[in-house]
Amino acid sequence: MKVEISRRKFLQGTVSMSVVGATALSTSLLSSEESSTTLPKSLQNSKTNHTNSSKVATLCEMCVNKCAAIANVENGVVTKLDPNPMFPKSQNMLCARGNAGIQALYDPDRLKYPMIRIGKKGEGKFKRVTWDEAYEAVLNGTDDFPGLAKILEEEDNRSTIGYCAGEGMAEHTYKTFMANKFGSTNFINHASICLQTAISGYSLTIGGYGQADLENARYVIMAGANRAEAIVTPDTMNLFKRTRGRGTNLVVVDPRYTNTAIHADTYLQIKPGTDLALVLALTYHAIKKVIYNQTYVENNFSGFEEYKDHIISSNYTPEWASEITDIPATQIMKIAEDFMAYAPQSIYYQGRRTTWSQNDFQLRRAQAIFTALGGGIDIKGGIVFGKKLPLDDHEVNTPLYANALGRIEKKEAKIVGASGSWIAWRNMIAEERASYPVRGFFVYKQNPMLSVPNIAKTKTMLEKLDLVVVIDTMPSDTVMYADVVLPECTYLEREDPIKSFAGAEPAIVLRNKVIEPMYETKPVIEIMRGLSKKLSKPLWEITKKFDEDVQEELEDADSEEEYYEEAGFNLTDAFTHSQEDINKHMFVPKYGEKAWQILREKGVFYPEMENGFKKIDNNTYQYYREDKKYHTVIKLQDESQHEAIDTCVNPREIAELKRIFNTSSKKVTCYLASMKKKGIDPMPTWHDSEYIKVPDGKFKFVTGRHAQFTQNSTQNNTMLLELMNENHVWINDKEAKKLNIKFADVLEITSSVGKVRIKAYPTARIIAQTIFYVHGFGAHSTGLTFAHMNGASDNQIIEDRIEPIFGSAIMHDTIVSIKKV
Amino acid sequence: MEHVKNYAMALNYQNCINCKGCEVACKEENGVQLGADKQRIWVGMVEGSIFGKPFVNLYPSQCNHCIDAPCVSVCPTNASHVVDGGIVKVDPQKCILCKGCMEACPYDARFIDDVTVAVDKCTFCDHRIEEYGTTSCQATCPTKVRLFGDLNDPQSDLVKLLKTKKFFFQKEQEGTLPKLFYILPDDETYARQSVSADTLIHTWDDITNSYGIIDEKRS
Repeated sequence: MKVEISRRKFLQGTVSMSVVGATALSTSLLSSEESSTTLPKSLQNSKTNHTNSSKVATLCEMCVNKCAAIANVENGVVTKLDPNPMFPKSQNMLCARGNAGIQALYDPDRLKYPMIRIGKKGEGKFKRVTWDEAYEAVLNGTDDFPGLAKILEEEDNRSTIGYCAGEGMAEHTYKTFMANKFGSTNFINHASICLQTAISGYSLTIGGYGQADLENARYVIMAGANRAEAIVTPDTMNLFKRTRGRGTNLVVVDPRYTNTAIHADTYLQIKPGTDLALVLALTYHAIKKVIYNQTYVENNFSGFEEYKDHIISSNYTPEWASEITDIPATQIMKIAEDFMAYAPQSIYYQGRRTTWSQNDFQLRRAQAIFTALGGGIDIKGGIVFGKKLPLDDHEVNTPLYANALGRIEKKEAKIVGASGSWIAWRNMIAEERASYPVRGFFVYKQNPMLSVPNIAKTKTMLEKLDLVVVIDTMPSDTVMYADVVLPECTYLEREDPIKSFAGAEPAIVLRNKVIEPMYETKPVIEIMRGLSKKLSKPLWEITKKFDEDVQEELEDADSEEEYYEEAGFNLTDAFTHSQEDINKHMFVPKYGEKAWQILREKGVFYPEMENGFKKIDNNTYQYYREDKKYHTVIKLQDESQHEAIDTCVNPREIAELKRIFNTSSKKVTCYLASMKKKGIDPMPTWHDSEYIKVPDGKFKFVTGRHAQFTQNSTQNNTMLLELMNENHVWINDKEAKKLNIKFADVLEITSSVGKVRIKAYPTARIIAQTIFYVHGFGAHSTGLTFAHMNGASDNQIIEDRIEPIFGSAIMHDTIVSIKKV
Repeated sequence: MEHVKNYAMALNYQNCINCKGCEVACKEENGVQLGADKQRIWVGMVEGSIFGKPFVNLYPSQCNHCIDAPCVSVCPTNASHVVDGGIVKVDPQKCILCKGCMEACPYDARFIDDVTVAVDKCTFCDHRIEEYGTTSCQATCPTKVRLFGDLNDPQSDLVKLLKTKKFFFQKEQEGTLPKLFYILPDDETYARQSVSADTLIHTWDDITNSYGIIDEKRS
C-alpha cells in the first residue's frame, strides 16, 4: 500500500512581519464569550490561506507521559505537532519523539488491515481478511489454529485465555473486555518489568509513590534515574532549569555518566547493584549524628526505634558502604549532612524503571525512609501526593463465572498482585509448570518478545499457545507469532478515555481524534465492540453447558434472555456507547457543559484554569496561583492545625505537623510486621549473598533508556533513526584499550541465556566491569523495514530472574562475556 | 511608526539535555530533507575530563543570522540575502550551488538540499513569527533553552533577558556580528568548564553600538 510521508509545505516568499509574539492572556476562560480571542495565539484556530486547515488539541502517545499537543491538519494530513502549553503536567514541551509522532501515523510499515496466520508460527506469513473474518477466526479458528469456542469447550475455564497490555489510556477498555466481561484472571501488564518495586516500596512505607516536587526541592539525590534521557513530565523540565546554583543541588549516583549526570553538582560513580548499601550508610550517618528531624520522627514515624537499633547494630557505616559501593566514605557523610541541612526540601528520588537487583523492594523502602527522616513528605519541595480531580465512573455489568480459576503464577513470589509477574507467568507456560493449561493469549499494545528478559523463553511460550491474538499498530516481533492480528489505529486517529492527572497542579485531559483512522484500522473500543458481538452468544452457550451456578440460577430466572442481560453475560453491553459519549458522561455531571466545551477545544481543563492560567513569556506559563497548589494534602491528626499550613513560612514546621498517612500504621512505616510473617525482612537489610560479584574478565550488563526512543515501540521511526541509527555497547575506555577494542568494532556479547552482536563505544563515562546498551533495538520482525536486525536487544541476553517479593524482573544482575569478532 | 526589527536568539545552553526535540521540530516544521548531515539546527557536544572526572558540554546551535553575513556578501547570484527582521535566507531559484556560502560560513550552518537542489539553512521559522511569536525549536524545547526575540524591542523578553545577563558568542573573532547569544552561567565552576579562556564575555551595554541596536531614547 502506498503511503505518503508527510512534509509540511514550507511557506516561501513574503511573510508578513508585522505582528510579533502577541501575548494576550486568558483572563476569564470560563465566563468570557470571546474566550478564543483571549487565548495565546498558538491556540487559536489558524487563519491561514489554507482552505482546509485546522488545529486539534490532542495528547501525545509516543511515550507514557501524555504531553498535551496541538496537531496541525492541512487537507486531512497531519503536518505538524506543536506543544499545547495549557497542561500543567507537560507544561509547554514536545520532545523529539513527540515531534516524530507524525511518522508513527504515516509509517509505511503500519498494520493496515486484519490478518490471519497462514504460515508457521513466527514466520510472519499472513492473509489479509475482513474484520468479520478476523473475529470469526478468534471464535472458531482456522485449519491452522483453534478458536476460543473449541478451547473453552475443552477447558471450561475462562482463565485458560491469558492477556497482557502495555500502558495506555485505553488499557482500561481492553481490560473491561478481558477481565470483566470475558472473565479471565490471567492478566499481566508492564509493572513487573517496570516500577512495581518502587511503587510498592513507597506505598507501604509512606502511603504512596507520590511525585517528587522538583520545582521546589533544594536537594535531590537521583540514583540510577536518568531524567534527561528517560523524560518524565514535569520532572525533566523542572529539574534541569534549576541545577548548578539555581536552586537545586543535584547529586547523581549512577554507574554511567549519563546526560542527567552532566547536570549534577555531584556525580558519584557507583558499582551496579550496591545502591542499598549507600542508602543504609546515609541513614546510619544521619541517625548517628542526630541530624535527622527529630520532631518529625516523633510525630510521624512508626517503628523508628527498631530501625535505629537495626541500622546502628548492623554497623552500616559510611566506611562499610564505601567498600561495597566504591564511593568514598567522606562523600557519603557529606551527602547525608547536606541532605538533612536542606530538608524537608530534600528528596531521594523514587526512580521509575526500577528492579535492578534482588533487593530492590528494600532499596526503595530505605530511600523512602531516608527522605522521611528529613521530613520531606507531603510538603512543597518534597515528595508530594497532590490532588486528583474526580471523574464519574463508567459502570460495567460484570458476569460471574463459576469456573474461572485464579492466576497461574500466584505462588511464584511472595506477593503477586493483579498485574502479575511477567517472567514467572511466561516461564510457567513455557516450562509447562502451570496447574492448568493456558492455551490462548491476547496481546494489546505490548511487545513481550522484546520487552521481557530472555527472549528465547518468550518465543517458546508463544509457540506453545494454541491461539494468540495481537492488537497493535505495528508489525512487532510479537505480531510475528500471532494467529490473528487486529490493527489498531494510532493515537492521532482516535478519541481515548478521558484522564485525570493527580499532582500539586492537577488537571483533566482529553485526547481528541485528529484525523479519521487510516486504512482499515480501528480504536480498541471498536475492536472490543466487534469482538464482543461475535463472541457473546456462542460463549454464552458454552457457559450454559458447563457452568453449574449459571444452570442453577437459570432455573429460577423468568427467561433466559432476561438473565443473560441482567447477569452481564451479554458481552456487548459494555461497549454500546461511543467513547465520546462515555467521556462526556464521566465529565459533565461534575464540571458542567461549559467546562466540557473548554476541555474539548483546549484538550485540558481544571477549575483553577480560569484564574490561574496565564502566559508569562514565550517559554513560561503559570497554571495555578501559588496558594492554590496542592502540596500538602494528607489529613492532619489535629484538624485545627490546618491554618498553620497557610500561615507558616517555615517549611520545617509544616512538615512536622502530625499526619495520618495512608499506610497500615497510619505513619511512616519503618517496620513491616506483615512482611515478617511472609519471611521477608521487615526492615531494609543488606545481605552480601544477594550481591552478584563480577568474575575476572567478565562484565555486569546494565540497560537503560534514551531520549530519542521509547522502549521498543519507536524503533522503526525514520525521524528518530536520524538521531540515533542503532545502539552501541558502552565499555570502559581503559578496559577497551586492554582488549584492543576500538569504536564501532563488532563485539559478541554472551550470557547464560543468549548472545548478540553489537558495535562498541569505548568511553570514560562508564564504570569498569560494566557494559551498557540502550533498550529498544534489535527487532527480528521482517515487517519492520528500518528496525529489522538493527542493533541489539537487551532482553536477548538478560537472564530471567525475579526478585522474590513481587516477582519483578531483575534487570541489572546478568554476567556476560565479550569477544571481538 | 513600526521600528526595524532585528531578530536574534538567546541560548540558555546549560539547560540543554541533548534530547534533540529541537532538531525534529525543525525538520517537521520546515520539511528539511532527511539525513544526518542535513541539519538546520543541531546540538554541539564537547566531551572531556578534568582531573580524571568526565564532563560534557552541550551547545545547541543553528545559523547565527550574522549582521555582517559573509554568506551573503560572497554569493554571486544574490540567492543568499537578508530579509526583514535581519534574517538570512536563501532563494533556491537563484542558487547555483557554487557552495561559496558554505565555505564562507564560520558555523557550518549550511548544507545542500538535494530536493530543491539548492543550499538550505535555518530561517528562524519566519513563516511562524506572526502566528506564534517564536520559532519551532524554541516552542518545543522541554527545558526552554532558547528565547527568540527582537533586539530592537526593549519590551521583548529577549532584550529584558540580555540586559540582566552576561553572554558570549561562538567564533566572535570572525567579525560577522553573530546573533546567537549564549547566556553565561551564573555558576562559576560550570562557566569555567563550558567557556574557553579567550572567549569574550559581553553585557548588553557593550554590544548595543556594534549591533546597531536602536535605543528607545533615540528613536
